[in-house]
Amino acid sequence: MGWILRKRTPGDVLFDAFIAAACIIVFLIVAYPLYFVVIASVSDSTMVATGKVWLWPKGFSLYGYNEIFDDTRIWRGYRNTILYTTLGTFVNLLFTLPAAYALSRREFRARRFLMFVFVVTMFFSGGLIPTYLLIKGLGMTNTMWVFIFPFCVNVYNLIIVRTFFETSLPRELYEAAAIDGCGHFRFFWSVALPLSKAVISVIGLYYAVAHWNDFFTALVYVRNNELQPLQIVLRDILLSNQVFQAGAGTGGEAGGYAQRYADQIKYGVIIVSTLPILLVYPFIQKYFEKGVMIGSVKG
Amino acid sequence: MKRAWSLVLAILLAASALAACSGGKNDGGGGGGSSDGGSDGGSGKRVKLTAIMTKHPLTKPFAEMEWLQAAEERAGVEIEWEEVTADWSQKKGALLSSGDIPDLIIGPNAITDADIAMFPGLFQDLRDLIESHGPNVKAMFEAKPETRALATQTDGSIYGLPKYQRFWPATATRQYINQQWLDNLGLKMPTTWDELFDVLVAFKEQDANGNGDPNDEIPMDFAPVGTGGFGHFQPTVLLGSTGITLTNASGQGYFMEDGVVKNFLVDERYKRVVQFLAKCYAAGLINSEVFTQDYTKFQSVARGDGNTAKVGFTWGWEVTDRFGNTLAPQYVSMAPLKETADSDVQVSWDYTYEALNYGVNMVVMSARSKNKEAAMRFINELYDPVVSMQVLFGSIGPNIKDNGDGTYEVLPPADPAMDPGTWKWTSTWADNGPMYIADDLVLTLGTDMQSVGAQTEPLMPALDAIDKENDVLPTMFIKYSPEDNSTLALNNTNLMNLAMAKFSQWVTSGGIEQEWDNYVKEVERTGLPQSLEIIQRYVDENKRNQ
Amino acid sequence: MAQATQTASGAVRTAAGPGRRRSAWQTLKRDRQLWIMILPAIVVILLFNYVPMYGIQLAFRDYDFTKGLTGGEWRGLYYFRQFIDSYMFADIMRNTVTISLATILLGFPAPIILALILNQVRWKRGKKMLQTVVYMPHFISIVVLVGLLNVLLSPNTGIVGYLLRSMGYEINLLASTSAFVPVYVLSDIWQHCGWNSIIYLAALSTVDPQLYDSAKIDGAGKWQTMRHIDLPAIAPTIIILFILSMGGVLTTGFEKIFLMQNTLNLPVSEVISTYVYKIGILSNQFSYSAAIGLFNTVINFFFLFVTNQIARRVSNISLW
Repeated sequence: MGWILRKRTPGDVLFDAFIAAACIIVFLIVAYPLYFVVIASVSDSTMVATGKVWLWPKGFSLYGYNEIFDDTRIWRGYRNTILYTTLGTFVNLLFTLPAAYALSRREFRARRFLMFVFVVTMFFSGGLIPTYLLIKGLGMTNTMWVFIFPFCVNVYNLIIVRTFFETSLPRELYEAAAIDGCGHFRFFWSVALPLSKAVISVIGLYYAVAHWNDFFTALVYVRNNELQPLQIVLRDILLSNQVFQAGAGTGGEAGGYAQRYADQIKYGVIIVSTLPILLVYPFIQKYFEKGVMIGSVKG
Repeated sequence: MKRAWSLVLAILLAASALAACSGGKNDGGGGGGSSDGGSDGGSGKRVKLTAIMTKHPLTKPFAEMEWLQAAEERAGVEIEWEEVTADWSQKKGALLSSGDIPDLIIGPNAITDADIAMFPGLFQDLRDLIESHGPNVKAMFEAKPETRALATQTDGSIYGLPKYQRFWPATATRQYINQQWLDNLGLKMPTTWDELFDVLVAFKEQDANGNGDPNDEIPMDFAPVGTGGFGHFQPTVLLGSTGITLTNASGQGYFMEDGVVKNFLVDERYKRVVQFLAKCYAAGLINSEVFTQDYTKFQSVARGDGNTAKVGFTWGWEVTDRFGNTLAPQYVSMAPLKETADSDVQVSWDYTYEALNYGVNMVVMSARSKNKEAAMRFINELYDPVVSMQVLFGSIGPNIKDNGDGTYEVLPPADPAMDPGTWKWTSTWADNGPMYIADDLVLTLGTDMQSVGAQTEPLMPALDAIDKENDVLPTMFIKYSPEDNSTLALNNTNLMNLAMAKFSQWVTSGGIEQEWDNYVKEVERTGLPQSLEIIQRYVDENKRNQ
Repeated sequence: MAQATQTASGAVRTAAGPGRRRSAWQTLKRDRQLWIMILPAIVVILLFNYVPMYGIQLAFRDYDFTKGLTGGEWRGLYYFRQFIDSYMFADIMRNTVTISLATILLGFPAPIILALILNQVRWKRGKKMLQTVVYMPHFISIVVLVGLLNVLLSPNTGIVGYLLRSMGYEINLLASTSAFVPVYVLSDIWQHCGWNSIIYLAALSTVDPQLYDSAKIDGAGKWQTMRHIDLPAIAPTIIILFILSMGGVLTTGFEKIFLMQNTLNLPVSEVISTYVYKIGILSNQFSYSAAIGLFNTVINFFFLFVTNQIARRVSNISLW
């Protein structure tokens, strides 16, 4: 990256100043509300709602976190979610990457037809009822497999990977390899995949986060408490807050005490549920470094 | 090269094999899961049942409820519970349309009359089972014939059983004013809209709370008005001043007057209420965020700042719930206002007795259940008044004291920081459970319920004066056909979209005088005349059947 | 860039040319490996997406539980007509299109710009930190996001309300019909911009550093480098994602709009998804909501299709 060190024109200085200013503004706009979530999670909800919490927590208490971690289902939820996320993401990639590779090959005759068939599913669906009947018929309801296999190919992600393969794999690469007698399997495994770490990590992240945040699958297809993922547990806790809003309709008899702390729980839940998945990001960031791809080809 | 190939292939094969065998294995498991019944009763072995309950999110796991364990044991059943706290309506769709339901579904209107009509054959007609295995349910039907009416479908069948919880007041909304502010400013309790207006102006202009800042008082505040209709703690109760009796807040405007179904959204009296509110809003007497704040904020604002109250006049369920323990002593519950000093209209108030004390379809049974008798035995247990009392307030022991002479007493929360309401919802099914609190059960209530009763006193003359036959819309007793229900749903969605937007617009920016006539015409277009005609038909029919 | 695509499609032609004369069996045999690679995905898509599609006919039928999903009385276009003739149709269509077009127009370029800016940051640790921070809001659930908006935008007690007031604007952002769409769109950008920029950052990472060096030697400034190297590198991704986003022209998030609704903004905030929810919760409107859903889908698909055809003509990049 020697080019950075060369002499800079006045235009470049201006440009750098602009970039720096933009970064600072973006940082402040994004970071303040996030910081607010953190301080709100340990502040008195009444103070938060009446605008008294700005920079520092007020009426400090860990009630929200106590309440969240007192729920024994949390830990089982964590365990289940981590299992579904890792296994599910693995299966997603296993099904998506080879398919995306095949669809990226311009010599593959069926690619346009298949692509169309896939894209249609992004729009048309039979609805929840027939899907439920199908998954029940397959015996997947109330098992962990319902989190892993149904809809394990996301067409949106498939398209992204395909676009990457199309644009970032130099065409000559396969032609050269083919002359050496290298088939698609081999090329995919030992050239395409290593060259595409950036997109694989992005798609892996997309899939992982989708699994992590998924509560709908559990809501509809799973009855067994042992199998419930974290999001269901947290949603239960979280929605206790909204119930008080409905409380206006049921006579508000649900009690002021719980309502006072419900907001604290609301903000706490966000932190508890997202911290682990947030920690994943820095690990995959390194695949976005410039020149990673070329380096791996040469290496 | 071969190695790489075979690796990819192997992984793919393994994945598909995994899918195949997991599918196969679970096919057997899933099919047998819900129906391994075992022998019914008698033998001493408990019958296994499955059940879903839509519980409150605060409610603790059922395994920790002593009364429930005891009830299951007495009924000779062992229930595998699925405790649902959120998103029930989404879950329900898939559950019902696939026919994949457990033996029992429990929860307030968890299965609605519309569901029962939509899914014929899915639920069990309980009439014969009540006759043979439900003496407690029968006792309720005999002592409280209205419960039978609530349960009975138009063709005479009974699918869902109701509840009767007896102790709740006749209205959900109480009206509060800050007595200390009145005293500070030397004002007397307002009795008419105009007097209220003057009092609110004084609250605004002077330093009513005495903290040195004359501008931090919010003279009037009310609960967030939803886009789907009005609710409790909202200024629609002022319609009572004009003689309109709201039934359970009349969220979509429907009320009854002399046996005729009407909708106040096109009523001149509603126009006058809105004009009054617009006048108050224009004068800065209503919280400027009243239409945008959420319920949490609505509650928080009224809790003020330490010992300094912020809100002068508002509505709520109970004074400590509304203002917090510190400020509650400053407030008093007040009587309904007259519209004008010379008005001779009999004032009324929101009548919510039925909605607070009864509930429909609290429990339904699957028609495909293999152990209907056992399921009915369990239901019957719940309707034993002593069990019902525990359904509502918690187990004898931690939550209720057995005085030993057949009388009982609700205990204060074990955690002194907690209020009785929260304690109740944490400990047990509370209002979400099926129950029959018989009128002859002797039970001393907790402080929260006692104070609700006391704070309702100023409203009692108005509530007692209501002609329950002809001025209360019997919403709960009406069972619409699926077609009519669907028509009403579509019409009301249109109506609410128009009317709720107009309401808030008129209150905040005025303009009702000019727009009213066009608005009334527009409301007709949403299908209101048709809806009124449908409801009237059912009300008349309901009356004939009584 | 254009040249590269040209040669690529040229190569396709030569590859496909002789294939046309071959029998289907021979092509199949040639593409054998590719078929094996895509087979698992085909199976999954057919099984989980196509098998349940018989449910679409519910939009044309009454729902009859006793006869099953496909047994109810055939009503043809009755439910579609009911929607189009409904009192609210014009309003909710207008609101839906306004919100989703505003989201596409402003929300689509934002992550691209952010990625290009981030790509210019040379302080590595700062870049990583900023990247992580902008990525975080994506994980805030909608309930909490709307709660945050309520607290921060409150005209009397919120920090944004305070800032606006100190600048002399007396406005309740939560109450006005003209502020609803901007608040919705900007908060959406705030929440998802960082997350959506990840894919562009990944695309930028594939740029060959030698290109930058030679640009430098040619005397190109940073701005030119960005325009002529960075932007073309992510262009295919931009085009593909744009086509996909045009397929959402009638799609708006349900939960966020529903939670942000209040009676004051209702004239502009009632959209198709909230309307379907409201009629559905009051009564079981299976057929009616299926019809509205299908109506939506067809229009969305139409826009995707048209955008795709245009993109194909113009840039030779397309979904299929």
